[in-house]
Amino acid sequence: MGRLFLWRLLRTALAVWALASGVFLLSHLEGDTAVELAQPDLAELRTTGRASTLAARQTLDLATRHRLGLDIPLFYVGTHRPTSATAGQWHWNGLPNQYHRWLVGLLQGEFGTSYRTGESVGSRLLQALLFTLPLTGTAATLAVLLALVLAQRLAARPGWHRPVRGALVALQALPLFVIALGLLLFFANPAMLVWFPSYGLDQAVDAEMGVGEQLPFYLWHMTLPVAALTLSALPELTLQLTAALEQELGAGYATTARAKGLAERAVIRHHALRNALLPSLAQLAELLPALVAGAVVVEVAFALPGMGRLLAEAAAARDFPVLVGGVLLIGAARLLALLLTDLLSLWADPRIRWQR
Amino acid sequence: MGRPSHPVAALASQSLFGPPKWAVAWLGLLVLVAVVAPVLPLPYPPHVPDLAHIAQAPLAPGQHWLGTDAQGRDVLTLLVFGTRTAVFLTLPAALLAAIIGALLGSAAGFWGNRARVDISYGAVVAGSVWWVLRLPAPWLGGVAGALGLVGVATGGIRRRKLAFRLPLDALVRGGATALDTVPRLVLVVALAASAGSISAPGLLVLLTVTSWATPARLVRAQMLRIRTLPFVEAAQAAGVPAWRIWLKHAIPHAIRPLYTLFPLSLARLLGLESTLSFLGIGLPPEVASWGRLMASYRQESSAWWLFAFPSTMLIITILSLQKLTNSRK
Repeated sequence: MGRLFLWRLLRTALAVWALASGVFLLSHLEGDTAVELAQPDLAELRTTGRASTLAARQTLDLATRHRLGLDIPLFYVGTHRPTSATAGQWHWNGLPNQYHRWLVGLLQGEFGTSYRTGESVGSRLLQALLFTLPLTGTAATLAVLLALVLAQRLAARPGWHRPVRGALVALQALPLFVIALGLLLFFANPAMLVWFPSYGLDQAVDAEMGVGEQLPFYLWHMTLPVAALTLSALPELTLQLTAALEQELGAGYATTARAKGLAERAVIRHHALRNALLPSLAQLAELLPALVAGAVVVEVAFALPGMGRLLAEAAAARDFPVLVGGVLLIGAARLLALLLTDLLSLWADPRIRWQR
Repeated sequence: MGRPSHPVAALASQSLFGPPKWAVAWLGLLVLVAVVAPVLPLPYPPHVPDLAHIAQAPLAPGQHWLGTDAQGRDVLTLLVFGTRTAVFLTLPAALLAAIIGALLGSAAGFWGNRARVDISYGAVVAGSVWWVLRLPAPWLGGVAGALGLVGVATGGIRRRKLAFRLPLDALVRGGATALDTVPRLVLVVALAASAGSISAPGLLVLLTVTSWATPARLVRAQMLRIRTLPFVEAAQAAGVPAWRIWLKHAIPHAIRPLYTLFPLSLARLLGLESTLSFLGIGLPPEVASWGRLMASYRQESSAWWLFAFPSTMLIITILSLQKLTNSRK
């Protein structure tokens, strides 16, 4: 069991490394755009009188490349630049290359520096994560709890189970951004209801406010985003758990429990639930990365300063260190989710605990 | 057990959203609209803003049936051309992903890690790669390729058992795992940024590259079952070459699960495409898309029609696709 577990983690870690390397190499092929975007505007340079000649422009270009660390070769091997005489031929670049530097920095816990702001990527990711973790964490907890309650009720097939299931299936069909926009349309719209704000948390963080004021303000702003994320995660969890519960309720031991005279509620809670939980635990491993992806959409829709918007903005501005760091972090979240799921399934199923 | 195994399948039998005929008719209509969109007699052409009527409600005096957006473009026209984008992007992407996935997955399942490849084929591939990449002394690649070709033609090397093992299964599974470690949306966003400003064919390639893993995994699992069946053994006994058994006999059975998966993967791609357009990352701004139309509602928060019409179309389409999936189970 332990060895299998370790092997699985190792394989996923390897996959995360391969994927991040792929994104790193692919993105840095496009280094020229990043250099262009990192430089001041051309028109602005003309007016200030700097870099008016071609030579001056080239100097500026080289300086920017050096600052971003793009002046050394990309990988261990590569072709010469197209301008040189032996263009198109492969040669060995040696250790001082961008990929090697990134990898060594990574092993020392350094993600690099952002192209745009010059801050360290690690601190920016941490800042964003401190915002996103409460958001996704609350949404995940709410979705799981609601799914547990709702699935137990639905499995008993009360009169209202058909419309609720229909609503859940319809909700499952909706992409998250449609849910988010719909919530905005109904609850944060001057033409309909103005119960919640549609943006404005960025300013609040800067403003001088006591903790007593800040907390209700924060909660007020977070209600709709959390609701959108919860609504997007809820249907799949609930429908899956309900189906598993219904299958367990058809088993022999459930019939025995009913024959003992137990109420249907008790049969579900004390007998069927634990057996039905196992497939849902596997879903939890998917839930964490899915919520991070959901955070991209929700944070853009509600203008929240978190991980998702950081990634979306980094993608728009070609801020590759931030982008690659984000991909790595999400891969790490995936590893964590796998670990958590395996531990939970150990708890839920004694058969897994006892097998060697 | 009389209960269906999947929760959504349970609903399919309850005729909640009409019979599958209805779904098929809607999807057919969408494809038809997408194909004939350029010749449809629309009252307003695309890309031409009607500046006299900006952000007009539907059926207002401006003669726009479904209103206009914040830039004065006709919503009906945008919807029609958005349909064209959606159909011509998701349909080829899903098809290509299914084909690539089926080929890779079935090869991985059929040969496993024990595929023995004759060294002369290896020489041909290595030689041509050497030649194309222009590694030092390109003639070396040419010589290796020619030697390999001679070996393939004569079959002489094979008798001496010069072959290497290709860990096909490990390669395909590793690729699929690597793609799965990060959510698809994040991966597509990261790759779209590194590819620079992206065009419609570029997005098509990106969607295909990130979505072949699911069909590959399904087909691989099915192939593991198929290759032990008696008819495969019979073909081997009859002396049919392995690649022929794989292509002609095993694949038609192994791709069965894809018939069910296809509408579902279309629905997922549709959701992904509209989400990308909403984020403003996918297609260039002049290409009409449902997601972009919905996003434009945020600039004009009283214009409910910008959100209501495209989202209704999206929901009906995704539900029809789900319905199609369930009816095929």
